[in-house]
Amino acid sequence: MSLRVALAGNPNVGKTSLFNALTGARQRVGNYAGVTVDVREGPLRAELLPRGAPAITVVDLPGVYSLSPTSEDEAAAYRCLTGASGPPPDLVVVILDAANLGRNLYLVTQLLEQGAPLVLALNMVDVAKEAGLVIEPEALARALGLPVIATIAREGTGLAALVEAIVGAASAPLGATAAALRGRLLAPASAIEGLPAGSDAPSASSSTLAAIPELVAVVDDPARVRWLLAARASGAEELTDASPAEAAALARVRVDLADATSCSLAIRRYHEIDGILEAIGYAARDAAPAMDLSARIDRLVTHRVAGLLVFVAVMALLFNTIFTWAGPLMDAIEAAMSWLSGQVSTALGPGLLTDLITEGVIAGVGNVLVFIPQIALLFLFIGLLEDTGYMARAAFLIDRLMSRVGLHGRAFVPLLSGYACAIPAILGTRTISSYRDRLVTILMIPFMSCSARLPIYVLVIGALFPGERRVGPFSLGGLVLLAMYALSTLSALAVGAIYKRTLLRSPTPPLVLELPPYRLPRVRNTLLQVRDRTMDFVKGAGTVILAMTVILWALLSFPRPPADAPPQRSPIEYSVGGRVGVALEPALAPMGQDFRVGVAILGSFAAREVMVSTLGLVYGIEGSDDDDSSLRAAMRAARDPDTGERRHTPLKGLALMVFFVYACQCMSTLAVVRRETGGWRWPAFMFVTMTALAYVMAVLVYQGGRALGFE
Amino acid sequence: MRAPSKALQTLDTLALGARARVVAVRGVGGLRLRLHEMGFVPGAAIRMVKRAPFGDPLELQLRGGHVSLRRAEARRIEVDLLSGTGGTRS
Repeated sequence: MSLRVALAGNPNVGKTSLFNALTGARQRVGNYAGVTVDVREGPLRAELLPRGAPAITVVDLPGVYSLSPTSEDEAAAYRCLTGASGPPPDLVVVILDAANLGRNLYLVTQLLEQGAPLVLALNMVDVAKEAGLVIEPEALARALGLPVIATIAREGTGLAALVEAIVGAASAPLGATAAALRGRLLAPASAIEGLPAGSDAPSASSSTLAAIPELVAVVDDPARVRWLLAARASGAEELTDASPAEAAALARVRVDLADATSCSLAIRRYHEIDGILEAIGYAARDAAPAMDLSARIDRLVTHRVAGLLVFVAVMALLFNTIFTWAGPLMDAIEAAMSWLSGQVSTALGPGLLTDLITEGVIAGVGNVLVFIPQIALLFLFIGLLEDTGYMARAAFLIDRLMSRVGLHGRAFVPLLSGYACAIPAILGTRTISSYRDRLVTILMIPFMSCSARLPIYVLVIGALFPGERRVGPFSLGGLVLLAMYALSTLSALAVGAIYKRTLLRSPTPPLVLELPPYRLPRVRNTLLQVRDRTMDFVKGAGTVILAMTVILWALLSFPRPPADAPPQRSPIEYSVGGRVGVALEPALAPMGQDFRVGVAILGSFAAREVMVSTLGLVYGIEGSDDDDSSLRAAMRAARDPDTGERRHTPLKGLALMVFFVYACQCMSTLAVVRRETGGWRWPAFMFVTMTALAYVMAVLVYQGGRALGFE
Repeated sequence: MRAPSKALQTLDTLALGARARVVAVRGVGGLRLRLHEMGFVPGAAIRMVKRAPFGDPLELQLRGGHVSLRRAEARRIEVDLLSGTGGTRS
């Protein structure tokens, strides 16, 4: 026999610390059907297990304030608790912040209604005591009729007593006090008492009220009735796993009555909580003593001027970390891969197999590994910011601007990261709790001008917008570059606002954001999360990226050129990809491009910056990545042999850059979107819409420019 | 200014530092329930702590902790100003 123990608790109460202390490093992301939120689980560390006790598996539920399904997190927690996805827990440990007991007990009342055996871990007793809030765990245990263990999860204090209480409580029936409390909580609710005072009185004809008893008759479990009613009140029925019969009965309940009933139950729970707090002498003072130090820090950090400066500094540091400081690590990975390619080439000699291994497999592995520095650094940063409590402040500061687009303040960091690379940025959207808003953010991110577009801008500007041309004090090339970034930012915001109002319409999510006390970050917790995220990327998206690299290599290598091919033609022109590029030339002409650029665009699907080297191949220039001067010269000099016109003009270059602002020329982005949205539907949508938009915009630029007399 | 003890107003109009008690919560689309569950229930004591740099959102003290609401959300909460703690924003 073994025990499954779920850890539940509000966000920011030390739940992850407790989980790590209980399981050590032998944890993994659990596999739960239909749950997109990470639910980690792991066996209890052997040295914590009392002699003769059954093995214990600990499941770390998402941090939630309530079980009512208002977002994916709550829905996931409920599904894990009720066994709708995977085996249900035998017992639930609720971690409570001793300094904020009132709101933390709300989740306890809901879990008590669910009926699973409960053990309470009263955490951060030390913080509460420092703040002058003395809580006797025994008094709380008596008032609730549930086992209460004082813990300091960060220091691992109280773990043995907690495990002992878990083993004891798993088999014991609910005590009389707790059973009586549960009975009071589950007493039938009247819808009327929850209606806001002075609101339009409910036309409480018996037929509308009867819908709730109908639901009760179908569902049978009162806790589940409440859960369904809360979903109905929140318009979140899609987050429930309601059976067809339940869904039909639920749909007959008027939304305002579901809301009124749910609110009256919330009031009842807080009424019971206030009684308990009074019984244990928990000072019902409205000061927040644990926040004293935090309030002093916030005088600076959320100050209307200084706070914004701190915000800009933190975000600049975050951005610099992934944009610049990840660079040497990425270079090292690329150098290692090319060294490996060189070794393989030397060992095997030239040939098809060598090409397959070096340009397909090794390049593919490199395409996966090269993202790891940025992903790890971004999640290290996000983890530390979350852990210290700053992330909530950042959302607080920037929410006013983000809500213009209809998004939560939490969408800011992923969008900013998009300027460095869409891959870590898309992985970073997991902090956004609403699925639709997360999807909107994911669809916005590839429009942010990532660092892989920079080599293309640099090539085209360097070749076609010479540095000596100036507009006032600015160089023309610099202004063009700035314009590309401005275009990408405005386009991302516009696309987000449009999707938010049409395809993925949903109200701007309520802020209702907790500003937790500042704490020192737990580096170990963060590093474990960094490891999880990175492994998740390698396993979930890496294989797709590897496969696509090999396929793309094959498309650009086969068929081989015939033996009598004229030397001035590049071998790539004979490949499938090259032929497609040639076939696409009539379509490329309206945007001012020829088949050479077409082939380079196809090649850049591996990663945008590959466009530069593919174009180099087409022009027969084996340039190094760092020096594209010979390619620039070739582009400047290239003329159409028939007409004598220049193949590349500033206007054509501008159209090409605009194309790359919009085009989703990045298979890794698509692989990650598939991983994060659970299918090919959204990546396909993203690719088609972005490519179409890119084409239209590039054609508009070229044709518009020509109409205005530019060439 | 109205007499503080009788003044019913919405939460978004509280002056910085002012304390008030929740009288009723309105709101649609699950917002009312979410506010209730976070502890904004009738009778709960609240203190206005801060406004964000652009005037929105608001930082409030509620039970043991600090929470942030947008002004549009705070407008859904009717409060009874506790006397001697500041008053209405002009």
